[in-house]
Amino acid sequence: MRMKTIYIIPTLFLIILFGNTKLYAQSGQELVDICGMVAGHATGDATLLKDFQIKLDEAKPGEEAPRAVYSVVLSKNTEYLFSICNSRDYPGEAIFQLYDNNRLLVTNYIISTGKYYPKVSFKCSTTGVYHMFITFKEGKQGLAVTLLSFVKRL
Amino acid sequence: MSKRLIYILLPLLLFTACPSDKQKDTDFSKEFEIPDSIIYEGELEISEQAMGDIVQNISSPVEIAALIKAVGVPYSQDYLATTDYIDNYNTSFKKAIGLGIFGADLGYQNMYNKTSSVIDYIHAIKTLADGIRVGQFFDFTTLKRLATNNQNLDSLMYISVQNFNQMDRYLRESNRSSLSSLIVAGVWIESIYLLGEVIKKSPNAELSEKIGEQKIILSNLMLLLKNYERDPRFKELIDDLSVIQEIYREVTITYEKGEPEAIEEDGMLIFKQNDKQFIEISDETLFKIIDKTVEVRNKIIQL
Repeated sequence: MRMKTIYIIPTLFLIILFGNTKLYAQSGQELVDICGMVAGHATGDATLLKDFQIKLDEAKPGEEAPRAVYSVVLSKNTEYLFSICNSRDYPGEAIFQLYDNNRLLVTNYIISTGKYYPKVSFKCSTTGVYHMFITFKEGKQGLAVTLLSFVKRL
Repeated sequence: MSKRLIYILLPLLLFTACPSDKQKDTDFSKEFEIPDSIIYEGELEISEQAMGDIVQNISSPVEIAALIKAVGVPYSQDYLATTDYIDNYNTSFKKAIGLGIFGADLGYQNMYNKTSSVIDYIHAIKTLADGIRVGQFFDFTTLKRLATNNQNLDSLMYISVQNFNQMDRYLRESNRSSLSSLIVAGVWIESIYLLGEVIKKSPNAELSEKIGEQKIILSNLMLLLKNYERDPRFKELIDDLSVIQEIYREVTITYEKGEPEAIEEDGMLIFKQNDKQFIEISDETLFKIIDKTVEVRNKIIQL
């Protein structure tokens, strides 16, 4: 009886511990809150306008990396902040790009230097519809959040 | 002793086997699979999926309120829609559009840190949100506490914006984009109403231009609403907004292309767009738009 208990109790602890690891998986909403701190929402440096939660599968061999596309309205004479936060539970690092009708205007990843920025600022001079493209580096599976925040009128 | 331990540990094991709230990502649609009479049952011009691809933030109460404050116009409670007749918002259609209107008013009050009057609005928003079954995303208790204590005003703004985002996402994910569109329409109408009221008292070129540039925004809003035009209530709203859109034909918007540039400052990458946009709007056109917006907005809030 005593021997059985010796096995059962540690086993139960291990199961509980294993179960608990799931509790620490980051949800999209938790990432939004973390990313809000990166953006400076708590300090009043920027005001949240919209959050985008992106979860993409790994690219299939020979195929292009999956991407998420969103359209947003941005206003002239306004500075915006785009903050990009990646979930620690997935290998993918999100690459953010903002286009007008056909031109790349903003990105958080400069291919030539390999520099990756968790947040980028955009000084907008034309009110209109812009298109956000989000992919994960090397087509890896990923979960990320992109926040669009208002910084100030220019 | 060992038996007692097992009795203690077993419930713990069962508890951890059940997913916690935090584990469940944000897909609440699976959690609340309830029949809903307010799901739009007519045929959509475009799919719900494509609806999600349409502009995500057609109107933002934050930006309009920030502009009004930035030009130095004092706060006025008189501009806001009354919350006295909240019970008159008695259909899903009225509740959703009312949510947008009160959401815009809340943004305006938050921008001016007017926490004393905010409580009525967060209460009204909670009531309307419950009415279309999205009240679970509106953190009334926290917002009320922040407003009552008159502290953490940035958090008040942040939480209220985030709550509206969550409601919007849930409505889109649960095939109730029609209600999401109405919230957006309500925010837009009230924001333009606020701008118009401010312009009447304190004429300002920047604010007038803001009204002019809504020509672009309104065309996107109409695109969104026209998906549901087979519903007579939507048809009526679209007809009202079409009159405003018709007036906007008198507004001219022209562009001059420039090369965008990027600079790095203190480790932060800053992109500057160098295009120019010229908005021409006469005073006559401006006041025609303002007057018609007042008419449409008052028709909604007087019910």
